[in-house]
Amino acid sequence: MLNFTREEKRVILFLVLISFCGITLNNLAKMNYRIKKLFCPQVHLARINLNKASLEELISSRCLPVKTSRRIIEYRLKNGDFSSLETLKKVKGVGDKRYEKLREIFFVE
Amino acid sequence: MKRLFAFSAVFYCLGIILVSSAWVNFWVIFYLGVIFFSAACLSFRNNHIFIVLVFFLVLILGAFNLKNSYMRHKLHIRNFVPHNDGAVYNLSGFVDSQPVIENKRTIFIFRTQEIQLNNLKWLCCGKVLVKLDFPQDLSYAQRLTLTGVLSRPFGFSSGSRSYRDYLSGQGIYLLMHIKGRSQITTQPGETGSKLIIFSLWLRAKLEQIIRRYLSDLPAAVLSAMVLGQKQSIPWLVNNHMVKSGTVHILVVSGFNVGIVAFIFNLLLKIMRIRIKARIILTIICLLVYCLTTGASNPVVRATVMGTVFLSARILKREADIYNCLACAALFILAARPGQLFDIGFQLSFASVLAITCLYPRIKSFLRLENFKAKALRFICEGCLVSFCAWIGTMGIIAYNFRIVSPITVLANIFIVPLAALITLCGFSLVLCGSFCPFLGKIISTTTAMLITLLLNINAAIIKIPGAYFYL
Repeated sequence: MLNFTREEKRVILFLVLISFCGITLNNLAKMNYRIKKLFCPQVHLARINLNKASLEELISSRCLPVKTSRRIIEYRLKNGDFSSLETLKKVKGVGDKRYEKLREIFFVE
Repeated sequence: MKRLFAFSAVFYCLGIILVSSAWVNFWVIFYLGVIFFSAACLSFRNNHIFIVLVFFLVLILGAFNLKNSYMRHKLHIRNFVPHNDGAVYNLSGFVDSQPVIENKRTIFIFRTQEIQLNNLKWLCCGKVLVKLDFPQDLSYAQRLTLTGVLSRPFGFSSGSRSYRDYLSGQGIYLLMHIKGRSQITTQPGETGSKLIIFSLWLRAKLEQIIRRYLSDLPAAVLSAMVLGQKQSIPWLVNNHMVKSGTVHILVVSGFNVGIVAFIFNLLLKIMRIRIKARIILTIICLLVYCLTTGASNPVVRATVMGTVFLSARILKREADIYNCLACAALFILAARPGQLFDIGFQLSFASVLAITCLYPRIKSFLRLENFKAKALRFICEGCLVSFCAWIGTMGIIAYNFRIVSPITVLANIFIVPLAALITLCGFSLVLCGSFCPFLGKIISTTTAMLITLLLNINAAIIKIPGAYFYL
């Protein structure tokens, strides 16, 4: 018979535990859709909501010049929320190149 | 002398620092080396003087190696382009890195072999950073001919070192910007190391497995934690982790290397392979893992340390942590002495050194062994490790990134155990996913849940007032 060390026994227990946990979560998600939030990260964790970000947030993100951040806020005050991320191109200072970068950082809800 | 390597590493680093801060001629260092070597030979019988002279020789060796690394080959491509002349060059060579596609642009390092200007051809060597304005399917070792303008990198800087310094540290002195597909021609044949080709193939396969079971964000986080591939990490996630001082979890480090060694050792043990063969095979696996993750400084450090530890077991010698660390430092600095000024190198060694030096001392000072409650002792020890690492790296982070995160110690209490669990789940997923898809699916749910929890905790922590501030 194989002689497992304490660490090796722990590995076996760990594998069993995560499998158990996975099956339980899958089952719960089938019964209640909200449970899926537990293992599907929300988009706001990876991107900034362009319609909710304050001027301070835009400036502190350090991915936009201060002037452009101000223009975004002004645009939002004047025209209401951004309907899509493409609308960002209408803001002065956001060209095609910058838009490509900002697309990875912001989202619109 | 017990810590010969540790002292040697200190003197070697001193030599590098001395020569980088003062202008010294290459031949002056050479003659100094000859003098010290002769003196060491003459004082062979006097042990004390001999050791002192040997340490000075190591210091000179460090200085000599750095000076040598600054010297470019006569045929280096940089010598053909002394300034931004705007001329169109034809370069022949091969892709020397895994091409990265970002924002519809392709970036890779190109190793040159031939340069052509106005129908005149010369043999050349050296690396060029190539940026294509379009996505192009390229792979490591692919032979290409590029046509374009060569330019020197700008010297702009956001911290202590400029972009130009950063690139020259990697042996890159020129950039080529390619706008059209007509400027790039693929040539038949492949050059490059077979081991690297295999490692890159393995990395692609492992990434495929991760992406098969997880959605975009968890897959990006897991790829960074298990394979060291940070390209897909969203900017906001990285930014949040920098602010909370937990960005180190997105880098492959000693913990990952330890897990790989443990897993392979276990698998080989189940196959009933003898201990010596097991250790040798584990060392080979560590080397492959190091290459697969891109051989960054923290991985190389951990791999060398692991190799020394395992080799000590074969030789039935006791491994000393300081000597292992010094061995790793000497290994990296012997190949590329300029790495001493690399932030990744400094952070990796500073954190490990701080943990090994401070942790046992503070632990015995606080008498943590006397804590009877196991859980409390475990939490306190975890806090102490985080605190030591923070103390060790705080200065470097504040100087280079102009950010201080007092929340780091608290954040690490929650984040590090979670990250450890995710890494373990990640390795289990990669292994099980390749052999048993059903098990992979089950493990992936737990992994995704842990990653989601980690991201939520991190996002909440940085919202605490005074969590971080910019200098």
